[in-house]
Amino acid sequence: MDYLYGIIIIVGLYVILATSFNLIIGYGGLVSIAHPVFFALGAYTSAILSRDVHVPVLLAMLAGFLVALIASIALALPSLRVSGDYLMIASIGFQLGVLELIKNVRFTGGPGGFTNIPAFLIRDFGRESYVLLVLAVMAAVILLIWWIARSDYGRAMSAMRDDELAFASVGRDAMWMKIAIFALGSGLAGLAGGLYAHYFRFITPEQFEILQSSAILTMVVVGGMRTTWGPVVGALLLEALPQAISFLQLPPSILGPIQGLLFTGLVLVFMFFRPQGLVPARDIWRSPRKEAP
Amino acid sequence: MQDITIILQILWTSLGTSTYDVLFAVAFALVLKVTRLFNFAQAAIMTIAFYTAFVVVQWLALPAFVAFIAMMATTLVASYLLERIGFEALRARGVSVMFVFVFTFMVSEFVAYLAALIFGTWPQTIFPTIFWPVTLYGNIAVSAWDLPALGATAASLAAFFAFMRFSRTGQFMTGVADNPELAALYGIDKRRIFLVTMLIAGGFVGLGMFLYGTRAQVLPETGLSLMLFAVAATIMGGIGSVGGAAIAAVILAMIQNASILVIPSEWQGFLLYVFLFFAIVFFPNGLHLPRRRRKFGTATRDVPPPAAPPAAPAAESQA
Repeated sequence: MDYLYGIIIIVGLYVILATSFNLIIGYGGLVSIAHPVFFALGAYTSAILSRDVHVPVLLAMLAGFLVALIASIALALPSLRVSGDYLMIASIGFQLGVLELIKNVRFTGGPGGFTNIPAFLIRDFGRESYVLLVLAVMAAVILLIWWIARSDYGRAMSAMRDDELAFASVGRDAMWMKIAIFALGSGLAGLAGGLYAHYFRFITPEQFEILQSSAILTMVVVGGMRTTWGPVVGALLLEALPQAISFLQLPPSILGPIQGLLFTGLVLVFMFFRPQGLVPARDIWRSPRKEAP
Repeated sequence: MQDITIILQILWTSLGTSTYDVLFAVAFALVLKVTRLFNFAQAAIMTIAFYTAFVVVQWLALPAFVAFIAMMATTLVASYLLERIGFEALRARGVSVMFVFVFTFMVSEFVAYLAALIFGTWPQTIFPTIFWPVTLYGNIAVSAWDLPALGATAASLAAFFAFMRFSRTGQFMTGVADNPELAALYGIDKRRIFLVTMLIAGGFVGLGMFLYGTRAQVLPETGLSLMLFAVAATIMGGIGSVGGAAIAAVILAMIQNASILVIPSEWQGFLLYVFLFFAIVFFPNGLHLPRRRRKFGTATRDVPPPAAPPAAPAAESQA
């Protein structure tokens, strides 16, 4: 039963990650691969505060959300000041740089990882309670993104993404809207990190490497961008794949690359043959501003 | 105060290690200049190049020159396929910059995972050893790798800049980089120019990876780290300036090597990400050196802008 609970929690967390990433890349049109690093920042912040500073776990998780949110603003502000293209470059450097930092400082446990993270809810109310917590946060995140996408702000977001020049010409500030979208999406990834840390109780920098970037991107691309249910379908499907492969009982040195090949290969196949994903939205990848013939 | 010998040694070593950084930066900057693509699939070409040479030398036990020829051939073929099957198809579909970026990033990751599956995740080198015999000149140690690497880099760059300056194709590349639509109106075959650009960049990557793989250990994901250095150098050198990227790569390599004097060695890798962030925040348009003065009439760039046209009423009165 614990194995099943573990899978449900992982799937729930990946739905949160994919849905929040869909807000950034799908609705916001911002390309970043650094989503796992905000997941890591949330996990490490929550773990360190609760274990070493004895902050209550719930507050530590909230702090994880805030640290991820602030870090994302620190990344987006200088990059978007220049252009959206710089965000995608800076995000790679940020992802690898923060992980390098985590590996080199002592208070994070270094490359060996951070252990003995305090458990939350499980001792008092059992594992089922944690499953319910993750599923509740997952539902809240899906609802939040659905509500944002259909609100006035969501329509403004679409306008900004489709024609930034026209958007700016009516007096709206595109840069701050982009930063807000990026910060919210990244903050939610930080919250997922806190939830992850207090269930599995052990985190290492390796869990947040580029493979995770590929995995989350695959979930969104394969599931379908700019749709509510696309990332959910993508996360369910893509989390089922590694579980299926794990039954083959391959050594970790082979399992990791095979998972990576599956993720990246699927993205490439879908990009060329079904760019709209399994749950389609209209005209996903085409350049928004088309020149007159 | 540091001993002058140590400083000179670090400068020499930096110059040597900057050779492959320069080649990777030039390749990335050239593709960005002419095709306007952030080609992160360059990391995939690097991985393919290295493991080709590795297989030829370590598995097939063939001599180094065969490995070099084989890796140049595979990089050119990979560059050709990337342009013809990948970029050309994407251009035809009119996809966004975001799509192309994700595509190039996924290609490089796909190749890295494939390499990890075939060759394992432990570090490899082209030759069994990466230690080269050293000769002392004064108190400066010069390895047998340094001079050939510097010579090959200098010769390839000289040939490239001469090609760009004097050949018809090189001039067409500059034309397409400046204004692709206008270049097409003048009858320049953009499709061919993009392909030539990718092949030249592939050549630089092949040479650079041969130099890197004979001096340092390579992992399947090494290409991406090397790429980030090239990206930082391209931004600092000024996007659109291939020469600027080369100079910036030399300066960054020197700073990274000299940092050993002030920071622990385990933080040297982290310095790369500081460079990248620093470049984006403070030099998004590159470092601009003061232009040298030119004789009147020899350069259009230094000519002051034309005076504003006369106001309409004045024009009417003249008429």
